[in-house]
Amino acid sequence: MQIFLLILFGFLAGIVGGMGMGGGTVLVPLLSFLDIPQKTIQAINLVSFLPMCCVALIFHAKNKLLVKQNILWLVLPALALAVVGALVADKASNDVLRYCFAAFLCAVGAWQLVVAVKFAITQKIQKNASKQNSTSAQTNKTKNQLQ
Amino acid sequence: MNLSAKNKWLLVALSAVAGFVNGFLGGGGGVIVVALLLAVVKLHQKYAQATALLVILPLTAVSAAVYIFKGNVDWMPTLWATLGVIAGGAAGALLLNKLKGNVAKIIFALVLIAGGIKMFF
Repeated sequence: MQIFLLILFGFLAGIVGGMGMGGGTVLVPLLSFLDIPQKTIQAINLVSFLPMCCVALIFHAKNKLLVKQNILWLVLPALALAVVGALVADKASNDVLRYCFAAFLCAVGAWQLVVAVKFAITQKIQKNASKQNSTSAQTNKTKNQLQ
Repeated sequence: MNLSAKNKWLLVALSAVAGFVNGFLGGGGGVIVVALLLAVVKLHQKYAQATALLVILPLTAVSAAVYIFKGNVDWMPTLWATLGVIAGGAAGALLLNKLKGNVAKIIFALVLIAGGIKMFF
């Protein structure tokens, strides 16, 4: 049963991850339903991401979605601190890691929700504005015809 | 696009945070990288999401190496989960090119909050 759930949870998180929306943020809470220590879950997440990322990148390269310009400004500092982060995690307890991850998820979720809702509202306003424009254009047209 | 000096330093500082988060929490750095690519490098959503994977790959590789080196990897569950993740990843990559609208993002945000609250208990 656990093997089935591991594959299923992996598959669900993989869909999100392959889209580049942060599969790890889905896999970690899913795996916390199974009786696995937090540090082991994080290791599963990191290791399983590697082959998935390679597969997804092949698709993205084919679809010409990769923009390589400027990315070294992100990669190099992130690389250095990723090593530091992993070393700190090794010293941290499972509970500390779990609570930190939970807080991180809530923060990211709230932030993404605000961004998505804001975007939806602006789109609606734009839609309404263009609708109004077209209706007023139509009224003008009818007016002209009547005249 | 050429970045201003201020934006370059912003990228350096915030991607360092993303790197630390990714190593310390074993993931999640990608969300920050996507936001940086959108807001600072000014990529469109789809391009930002795809390119973020390119940024995250090397730093996940070094973080994973540290976890392996420190003996924090349990290989059996890792293997099974990885099988699922690879299959899901291919499906997700195909979907990204067809994705429209904002609904997926809102659902994703709600899933994250639910996951976070669950993990506190």
